[in-house]
Amino acid sequence: MAFFLQSAWLIPVLPLLGCALITFTPLRRNKAASGWTAILLMILATLLAVGLLAATAQGLALRDGQLVTLATGHGEAASHGEAKDHAFSFPEPNVVQRINWAPTGSSLLQLGFYIDTPVAAMLAMVTLTSTCIHLFSLGYMAANPRQSRFFSFISLFTAAMLLMSMADSLLLFFMAWEVMGLCSYLLIGFLYERPQAYRAAIKAFIVTRIGDVLMLLGMVYLYTQAGSLAFGTAAGEIFHPAFLERIGTEGGLLGLSHATGIALLLFGGTIGKSAQFPLHVWLPDAMEGPTPVSALIHAATMVAAGVFLVARTFPIFVADSGAALAVVAFIGAFTALFAATIAVAQYDIKRILAYSTLSQLGFMVAALGIGGWVAAMFHLLTHACFKALLFLGSGSVIHAMEATPVIERLHHKDEYAAQQTAQDIRNMGGLRTRLPWTFWTYTAGYLALAGVVPFAGFWSKDEILADAFKGGHWVVFTVLTVAAFLTAFYMTRQWRLVFFGDYRGERPVVFKNPEASLAPDRHEDGHGHESHGAHGHQNTGAHWHEDPVMIASLVVLAAFAVTGGLFNLPFALPGGHWFASIWGQEALPFSPLVAGISLLVALGGIAAGWTLYGGAFARAADRDPLEARAPAVFQLLNEKYRIDELYQASFVRLTALLALVWAFIDDVILNGIINGIGRVTLFLGRLNFIVDDTLFNDGPDALAGGTVTTGKGARRLQTGKAQDYIGYVFGGAVVLALLYLYVIGR
Amino acid sequence: MTSAIPLEAVLVVAGALFCIGLFGALSRRNMVGILMGVELMLNAVNINLVAFWRYLEPRYISGQTFAIFIICVAAAEAAVGLAMVIAIYRNWLTVNADTVDSLKG
Repeated sequence: MAFFLQSAWLIPVLPLLGCALITFTPLRRNKAASGWTAILLMILATLLAVGLLAATAQGLALRDGQLVTLATGHGEAASHGEAKDHAFSFPEPNVVQRINWAPTGSSLLQLGFYIDTPVAAMLAMVTLTSTCIHLFSLGYMAANPRQSRFFSFISLFTAAMLLMSMADSLLLFFMAWEVMGLCSYLLIGFLYERPQAYRAAIKAFIVTRIGDVLMLLGMVYLYTQAGSLAFGTAAGEIFHPAFLERIGTEGGLLGLSHATGIALLLFGGTIGKSAQFPLHVWLPDAMEGPTPVSALIHAATMVAAGVFLVARTFPIFVADSGAALAVVAFIGAFTALFAATIAVAQYDIKRILAYSTLSQLGFMVAALGIGGWVAAMFHLLTHACFKALLFLGSGSVIHAMEATPVIERLHHKDEYAAQQTAQDIRNMGGLRTRLPWTFWTYTAGYLALAGVVPFAGFWSKDEILADAFKGGHWVVFTVLTVAAFLTAFYMTRQWRLVFFGDYRGERPVVFKNPEASLAPDRHEDGHGHESHGAHGHQNTGAHWHEDPVMIASLVVLAAFAVTGGLFNLPFALPGGHWFASIWGQEALPFSPLVAGISLLVALGGIAAGWTLYGGAFARAADRDPLEARAPAVFQLLNEKYRIDELYQASFVRLTALLALVWAFIDDVILNGIINGIGRVTLFLGRLNFIVDDTLFNDGPDALAGGTVTTGKGARRLQTGKAQDYIGYVFGGAVVLALLYLYVIGR
Repeated sequence: MTSAIPLEAVLVVAGALFCIGLFGALSRRNMVGILMGVELMLNAVNINLVAFWRYLEPRYISGQTFAIFIICVAAAEAAVGLAMVIAIYRNWLTVNADTVDSLKG
């Protein structure tokens, strides 16, 4: 067991090694070999991470290289009486390794690992989902010529996520956070031939940057107060009780305490990374990336990083009077409901899941906001498994859809439109029998997300609701319950339209691509709902196939989606409250009332979805039953409340206007000045030239000419005849003598 | 005896001898002739020196010393000059000073 603690540092190094191997060695030319390299290293990292979780769960810890056992948390003890709101105790670290990174003046900057039990759980979750997604990509991305690069990127991403989880300070945390941002950018724009893809990549990068700047400001603020960014409760570290006490009471700006200011700025990072309202707009667009990317980065791990940030710096959030947590709870609950309503009216299978991710992240953030730390982390871990599963399942569906003759024919004309058409749930239907493995695993993920007992999502979502209920946060409780109802509803809608009914893909609703120059034989009449396709073509279903490696990863994730709740069952049984106890937190007693409401809401949502969409969409071009009842509302939801358009009209236009003003200043004023300077310089240069040419050039020229002439004359004296020279000497003597006699001597 | 022949007479002889030597050195084409002219000029200088010593400063020997120096230098000059004449003759097969003008600029 000590081995796992000592080799914890290898966990992020292994995927990083995978990235380096694929990028820098000839391995990159072999797609399968690079894929398997990455997968094997990921499996190794998974084993280490699971071992680490097992070791830390037993309370084992390293202190100065010695193996010691920590006193395990007070999980069972918490059942007594009314626990205080926001009761949170920062867990004891199991492994802390720091290296001296750089001397900064009088102090020393240290970076390293700080692993406690929640981190170990995160590491296990990230490695596990990432391994499954690596495996899935082996099948899903096989047709892509840049598959090796893809593996390199997702390995780098995984390394960064692992490093972030186990970072010992907010600084290293932020570094890894930014590497993830880069990987996210690279992977959203992976299919960079498509304008939509690179635009989405830039959008994601810029929008998350807004949050990151706020987070960086928060870090600076924290550093000015604490003089350190290192996690830990010792003196000089940021969770030192006396320090928290101080920043919680001392005032900062605008009547907020320092703790509130720092917490809100750090929460800015969460809003960006976890795509909370109002910076949520990048996540749905990020679905332009390949589906495994959506599963890994934009559902399971990276977007959870924002939640993890709040969870990690939670002592600062609870240090103040509760103002910061109120904001967190409000944003989370609002996003949960807001995104769930949008998901109801989407047609793209991946976009539904994307909005569902937003909504679930909102659940987690709201849970943190009401002090349900364990519930948030628990939901984060289970959600990662089942959302990765759902995304991979949708990937399997899309993969199969893209192989149908109708889509393939479309593919020759317009690749992007073909892909979008293949993702449209209106064009699916009846896939239950055609893709049985995908159907059953998807169903597991669906039930987990909808919150049906005993699947993973039920237990974690129930814990969040129970926290809200117990803490008396009625608004949050109500909002989250409604969101839970909508979750069950839109997932049922999607599940029913994809897997049940008749297959509608023979006459699909073709995506209208505004970017493409369409081939003339595409007889579109200008309506998005136009039915178009293979007339009279009878599909026999022979082409439907499911890739074995893809199924394997689906099955593994499905197992966790089904059983994930076992890790933190809300009963006072042996094994109940396992997460809470190993994390050293108070366990929430089971509330049958909340569980009943939660289950009722989930079943109600499912029933509503099932009945409403029972007879809907006999043909792909039919209207959605909701649209038929409330066209205006449906339209608004389908267009995502037009937030994108709002941003386009406000921020983007404002920026464009500013740019225009700057362009004017640049063109007219700055250019004028610079051109003027240029003209003056040119004039001075000409003047200089004239002076130089007339004055300075002629003198030396004359000198040189004179020398030449003199030389020419003088050379005639050099006859080479000795007697001439004697004559000159004599002549010279005569001249001197005459000079002496008549001038000097007189 | 010094009063029998005045100093001026001796100086006139020496001047005449110098002029004859100079004329020879400038006019002769034969290099040996030029050397002979140079010898004459040197010896005219010697006569001057000796004459000034004998008539003006008989107590000092600087005049004689100069004369002996010049005789030595003249001997060396004659030896080097004749050797050069022979070397030139071997190269150009002539001793005509006008022909040898390879120092011409």
